[in-house]
Amino acid sequence: MSGTGSGPGGDAETTSDGGFGRDRPQRSDGRLDSERRQGTPYTESQVIMPTVKIVAPFAFTYGLFVTFHGAGSPGGGFQGGAIVAAVVFMIAFAFGIEATRQWLANAAVVALAVGGTLVFAGIGLVPVALGGAFLQYELLPIPDPVKYGMEGVEILGIGTIVAGVLIGLFFVLAKGFSDAGGFGDGGAFDDEVGNEPDVGDGNESDDGESTGDDGNETRDDNGTDDGQSAAGATGPAATDGGER
Amino acid sequence: MSLVDAPLAAGYTLGDFLLVAAAGFAVLAVGMLYRAVVGPTMQDRVLAVNVLGTNTVVILAILGAALGEPTFLDIALVYALLNFLMAIAISKFTVERGGVL
Amino acid sequence: MTGAIAGVASGPLGAPVVAQVTAIEASLFVFVVLTALFTALARDVLAAVIIFGAYSLGMAALYTFYRAPDVAMTEAAISAGVTTVLLLLTLAKTTRIDHEAAFESVNLPAAGAVGLLFAGLMLTMADIPAVGSRDAPIWSNPDVSQWYIAQTYAETHVENTVMAVLAAFRGFDTFGEAVVVFAAGIAALIVLHREVFA
Repeated sequence: MSGTGSGPGGDAETTSDGGFGRDRPQRSDGRLDSERRQGTPYTESQVIMPTVKIVAPFAFTYGLFVTFHGAGSPGGGFQGGAIVAAVVFMIAFAFGIEATRQWLANAAVVALAVGGTLVFAGIGLVPVALGGAFLQYELLPIPDPVKYGMEGVEILGIGTIVAGVLIGLFFVLAKGFSDAGGFGDGGAFDDEVGNEPDVGDGNESDDGESTGDDGNETRDDNGTDDGQSAAGATGPAATDGGER
Repeated sequence: MSLVDAPLAAGYTLGDFLLVAAAGFAVLAVGMLYRAVVGPTMQDRVLAVNVLGTNTVVILAILGAALGEPTFLDIALVYALLNFLMAIAISKFTVERGGVL
Repeated sequence: MTGAIAGVASGPLGAPVVAQVTAIEASLFVFVVLTALFTALARDVLAAVIIFGAYSLGMAALYTFYRAPDVAMTEAAISAGVTTVLLLLTLAKTTRIDHEAAFESVNLPAAGAVGLLFAGLMLTMADIPAVGSRDAPIWSNPDVSQWYIAQTYAETHVENTVMAVLAAFRGFDTFGEAVVVFAAGIAALIVLHREVFA
């Protein structure tokens, strides 16, 4: 969009590109439409979404490669876990954090972080149970115990811990400080829909279409803090049980 | 003796010339930093960081060839993938101005 | 091993450090120092975050040049991919103030203290072994570095010595490190008054 296309030539050019302005009414000139586009919530980018659709599988595979191939090349669980978490960030930036939050349940994130820690501790404690020292890989009851014990620690331990914790930090920071107060369950899930309690249902019914609504919610969340905290007092009772 | 160790001219090997090229790209990075620091709008800074990331990928690839370490390409790949993430994160932030999404 | 690198690696210990800095090192040093300086001086926080992303690019190239690919990959994955995104999210949840001035005004006593510290650190530079020197204790110690390098494959059957040190020889430290990462996630939950991540 040139923005200076006030002449007849520029006008014809901007109205002829059918890809980007399909659902909009006929505009008088490009300047007005560019201002209008700045005003609407920027959630579905025509560039970012298809690119992320293409890039994300490769990046995820590469993260797994770095994790699994840490024994023979630079990399390992820490780097690979960070790359896998970055793929989730990428998807969240392209398709909306709320949609990603509903796709990637809290149980999965917690299972990654806690499971990784437990696997690491378990691999360390099995030799102790067999009469050895902590992390004495030689005593593990598997073939080639040192190599595959280390691989298990790197892949199932460190990689999953880092990926889970980074994804969790991302979601927690995206949600921000809880205005609903304290450790309430409803506030943890629903403090963004405190203004209008029926938006949550709309999110669940059609995820792909309603990301625009998510953008609206986030802006309302930032803008109206007073109304947010006032509604948060009554919000959890009204909107609890609607999420999962 | 690999290709990069072959003497090319005046006793210098191909690896030496590749290192000089990498140094040139590093000098260019300092120039691009000007736009990232001064850039009046955030879009200037986003573009500057994006170009810097691509520049770094090139430097890493040249270093991998010059020093005979193919594993450096792994790092270049990581940067190529995550530079894209950094670019879309900052650009969505600057457009949305406040709420990221 | 090419000529430029061999010149760095086999440089005499007593030679001035500056004479051993090759062109690529010098330009990367300048880049890294400039980005660090402007990160500290930028008045707008968003600009500081962006310039800090550029800083990580230079650091990764520098680590790579010094043959530390594992560290470079960590720098790439964490600094470019994760830190920038988390800082941006934090900025999105806080208020940004539009400043008139582009750069922070320098606090002169603080700058003087930093300058003194820098000068004190530079005095020790003469005693530090040259980069890549074979006589440096970190390399020549037969009981630690050389033992790891010689024994990694025989003891652990993996090729990457860094991973062998992390997961096997110093496995207990790595376990503590992993628990620290896990604790960081819990700490973020506690600070933000939440019980769930997602």
